[in-house]
Amino acid sequence: MFIIDDILLRQLGITIPGLSLVWTLEQIRDFAYKELYNPEKVKNKIKENRLLFEFGELTSGEYENNNAKLLQELKLAQRGTEMNLSVRTDILGAR
Amino acid sequence: MKEESGRYVYCIMKSPGEKKSFGNIGFGGQEVYTLEYRDFAPVMSNAALKKYEAIDEEVELHRKVVEQVMKEHSVLPVAYGMAFKNKKLLLIAMSVGYKAMKKAMNEVDNRVELGVKLFLPKENATWDGKEECKSVFLEALKKKAVQSKELKLFSERLILNTSFLIDRDKINDFSSEVEQLGNKYPDLKIQYSGPWPPYNFVDIQILSRKRGGFR
Repeated sequence: MFIIDDILLRQLGITIPGLSLVWTLEQIRDFAYKELYNPEKVKNKIKENRLLFEFGELTSGEYENNNAKLLQELKLAQRGTEMNLSVRTDILGAR
Repeated sequence: MKEESGRYVYCIMKSPGEKKSFGNIGFGGQEVYTLEYRDFAPVMSNAALKKYEAIDEEVELHRKVVEQVMKEHSVLPVAYGMAFKNKKLLLIAMSVGYKAMKKAMNEVDNRVELGVKLFLPKENATWDGKEECKSVFLEALKKKAVQSKELKLFSERLILNTSFLIDRDKINDFSSEVEQLGNKYPDLKIQYSGPWPPYNFVDIQILSRKRGGFR
């Protein structure tokens, strides 16, 4: 049983990158986080929002609203990239 | 007003030979003035040494000061948020960067930056003529410019985002070229902006830090 083996191995603090299901899931999760919290993408959206406003496709209210949300998103994204998501601290001391 | 020992630098210009004041238009209503360093003069104000967050109003203030200075002088723009603990450290940075500044000033003296963005209309965001249109614009505008720099296409509807370095006395010529090209593509949305300080054509990094650096 691959899954059980893997979980057992992890409890012993052993992971085999590439073979471990948890490892694979973590990679997918990290990728998803990076997509979601990518500061560059958010910055692009901030610039696009500005341009849409300057071309009159957004009202100033819409622009302000979007901008506030995007700035918040950018803060989160920058905080996300500052933390290395794949490093965990094991409070029991085993990794 | 509290006397701050920090120095916030907005841009660098050629030395006017003596201290020049641009009025109380700096952060916290402080006077913006020049300091002499050989044949250069950093344009600065006394300000607290802190981390300058990219807040719209403050970035705007920095931009306005630089624009005020560039009305009469060629400038080397400095990235937003560049503050020094004191005058002495600023002068050290000036000496470290002197050679690079000299070279950069030769490039941008009496020149300005103009920006052109081409944006597809909402209704026609998948237009297949965009590559050709981009080449037509670039080819014609590059002929009128000293240098050009293609910038990031930050939206799917953005097909061209380019900055051009133009001799001050050729701005009108460049503007009419943009207008003529625009007339060829009436459906396109065009943002023609400037004159800006040559942000995209000066890249000096001294005492580079995570944010800012001496650009």
